[in-house]
Amino acid sequence: MGAWRSVERRQFIKTGITAVGGVFIASAGQVPLFPGIASEKDKKISDLQGQVGKANQTATALQSQADQTSGFLTLDSNEQAVVEAIAEVMIPSDANGPGAAEAGVVYFVDRQLASEYGMNAEMYMQGPFVQPGQKGPITVGNVTYPGGSAQVSLNAGGAYQYPFNLREYWKRGLSFLDDYAKISYGAPFASLDSNGKTKFLQDLWNNKPTNFTGPLPREFFNEVYNLVWGGFLSDPIYGGNRNMVGWQLTGFSGLNDGNFYGEGSSRTKLMLQTTPTRLEPVSLAQFQKRATGGT
Amino acid sequence: MSAVVHPQVDVAIIGAGLTGGSLAAVMTTAGYTVACIEKGPYRNFTDWDMTKYDEWMVLNFRKFDHPLSLWSFSLRNNPDQYANPIRRYTGVQTGGTMGHGVGGASQHWAGGLGRISPWAYKPYTNTVQKYGSSVLPSNHDLIDWPFEYSDVVAYMEEWEQEGGVSGDNQDPFTPGAKYPLPPHPPTPLAELFRDTTESMGYHPRSAVSGIASQPYVNQFGVQVNSCVYCGWCGGPCNYHCQVGAKFTSAFRSIPAALKTGNLDLRVNSIVYRIDLDGTGKKATGVRYYDERGNVNVQPAKAVFNAAYSINVVRLLLLSGIGTPYDHATKTGSVGRGLTETSAPSATSASGTIDMGGNRYPAGNASGGGYTIEDFADDNFDHNGLNFIGGANISVGGYLGSAPGQLTLTSAGPNNFGSAYKATLIDAMLPTKRQVTIRPSGPAIPTSDSFEDLDPHYVDAFGDPILRITDDFSTNENPAADYIAPLASNILTKMGFTDVKVNPVSLGNQHKDRQSAHIRGGARLGADRANSVFNKWMQSWDVENLFAAGECLVPFGDNTSQGTHALGFQSYIAADGIKKYLQSPGPLA
Repeated sequence: MGAWRSVERRQFIKTGITAVGGVFIASAGQVPLFPGIASEKDKKISDLQGQVGKANQTATALQSQADQTSGFLTLDSNEQAVVEAIAEVMIPSDANGPGAAEAGVVYFVDRQLASEYGMNAEMYMQGPFVQPGQKGPITVGNVTYPGGSAQVSLNAGGAYQYPFNLREYWKRGLSFLDDYAKISYGAPFASLDSNGKTKFLQDLWNNKPTNFTGPLPREFFNEVYNLVWGGFLSDPIYGGNRNMVGWQLTGFSGLNDGNFYGEGSSRTKLMLQTTPTRLEPVSLAQFQKRATGGT
Repeated sequence: MSAVVHPQVDVAIIGAGLTGGSLAAVMTTAGYTVACIEKGPYRNFTDWDMTKYDEWMVLNFRKFDHPLSLWSFSLRNNPDQYANPIRRYTGVQTGGTMGHGVGGASQHWAGGLGRISPWAYKPYTNTVQKYGSSVLPSNHDLIDWPFEYSDVVAYMEEWEQEGGVSGDNQDPFTPGAKYPLPPHPPTPLAELFRDTTESMGYHPRSAVSGIASQPYVNQFGVQVNSCVYCGWCGGPCNYHCQVGAKFTSAFRSIPAALKTGNLDLRVNSIVYRIDLDGTGKKATGVRYYDERGNVNVQPAKAVFNAAYSINVVRLLLLSGIGTPYDHATKTGSVGRGLTETSAPSATSASGTIDMGGNRYPAGNASGGGYTIEDFADDNFDHNGLNFIGGANISVGGYLGSAPGQLTLTSAGPNNFGSAYKATLIDAMLPTKRQVTIRPSGPAIPTSDSFEDLDPHYVDAFGDPILRITDDFSTNENPAADYIAPLASNILTKMGFTDVKVNPVSLGNQHKDRQSAHIRGGARLGADRANSVFNKWMQSWDVENLFAAGECLVPFGDNTSQGTHALGFQSYIAADGIKKYLQSPGPLA
């Protein structure tokens, strides 16, 4: 529970960037006032109205800034809802602090699908494409292999043997997922209750759906799992882990060298001590800003 | 399209990694002209600034490593199987992780070092003399190095000087080791391990590291910076040094060679053939694609194949040099005799101690710990045992990990949701430390582990990729089964709690990745029937072709941590090439 020492901080982070709209201040009429001091009251109302006006302008500006980056490059509206719902089941907002929603995991996933990751940019993509772990005999080209194809584990570099890129892989996976929800749950994934969603994801892990023709359910679960947690724990520069909520939870301090905020420790102290020291996390952007003369 | 033909040089070097860089430095400072052709860019250490601590792209997607879109390798466990290619980096060590650019694979190296012990230069002879051959796996293909420890100590010292290797000088199992820099400061856990093992009669020594513990000037006049303990190379040991403290050719040998004016370093250029003359017994130079895809020819009096381990072998096969290993007849030598320093998934010992710390951001990837070699190599009696070699036991290195590692291989039906999330609270700030010791013995090269050209897959230019056929031998598990309980004793004596031996039985392992320290395939040896290079690192088949790399190492000893077994080869090869250029012909 170390990450959430004060309610104020938690509230701030919880509302974070996605909830900039929440900055809107209530109308001046609701501001409690001392009765009986009419002229002062009028003046205060006028002042407050001015302040509220300014605050609303600022909030609107912030809101529109947020909206400008909180769009989608690859996921369509249905996919957004599904990815967001999966991410929120995997990393819920709860008593231990913000989750996937506040971290902007869905935006991280979307950006990844739009980048090298989604394009398989540096992957080896020559054919043929043969599923691993097949029992023999199998014939490829004009060669017969009595022993089938070698078995690989989920995260091995040889596990991915598909002729399409990861953007397509996700599209296919999300569409199979949608179909399975309709077939077996009679409703879209996002509309299931929390238990239903959890059970659904366990179905994927257990390879229960039979309508997945590649990626397979467990493979897709694993891929989604890695991206969702990646969006919670990677540097915020990739669009997730907003306000470093994932680092607040895990106690990772990013680029803090022990004294970034004047904490008075150092790397050589940290590496030899046997009790941990909590440090405020520092993101790449913050580090770079400091290095180039900013604060 | 006609090729661009460059003027002849004395030596053409394929690759500017650790071995290519050392040879370039030695030859150019001796006045020879060298062209070094490197497939990736030249990034100096200052280029890593601002990109550090980026686990997602640097570790998981390895944006500074070899793009697999150029080529990959395929992997299977036995010759009856089809081999699927490794298609992507996932953050889990895919193995055979090739470097890209000056520095090569040493750019993403942890810096772990340690000399090969005298016994491990003659593992076959020493084993058979002392225990008979029946202790070896029935399908073993084990051979000795073609020289002794004492023959090569001077070369090893030169290489250690080049790097500014940090370590202490009291290792009883590698006599005469005198490292130029002192070890990195030990952690309290390492000190406890040292004191405990000493009291048990063992012989602890500081971790030997390729990361400089102090500022240093090497024999070529290159100023080496000291480690700043930023922890960046830690994590899962795959990040690049941003201050130049880590021993890589980019910050040691290549700057020295460039300073002489005798080195023509060509980056972003991919060698795809070693050209031979009409007799097939002499190389005329190398052929490569420059960054625009144009074919270039670099004529040379001698060629030094210093590519990454598996790429050395692949270039030999693509160039028609030597006799490819034929699994059916067990003849031929190119691609033969794969081995590794260890197998990852055998029986282990683990325990927990009340010594925590920040899992980030401090230390480095190879210092801080202590090691005992009392259960390594032949440092204990193997009579009555069913394995050879053993394992180092190392404890107390600096903590190093990045947060994504917490979840990377955790996908499972219950590892999500609020309960799982709660397990991650302060996971980077542990108050206790769990230690797992994996003491698996060396993989013995067998007649069933080999490399050849894949019949189905090609690279971006249409040439076949390398296929690796490899599985664990029967040596690793018995070694781990024997040593793990001994390791658990040490943990108990140190005050660990929850000490356990975690058994893994043979057959429950699954080899779906390759160690980055893959050895063999182009072995050194005394017999050309089962080796590719002689003791001067000279090809048996093409007399002006020399090489260095982990693929030349015939045995997966326990002590060298991989890299120590390859670095000094360049210093032997440099002597060999000088001898050859003075008097061409096979060297005796």
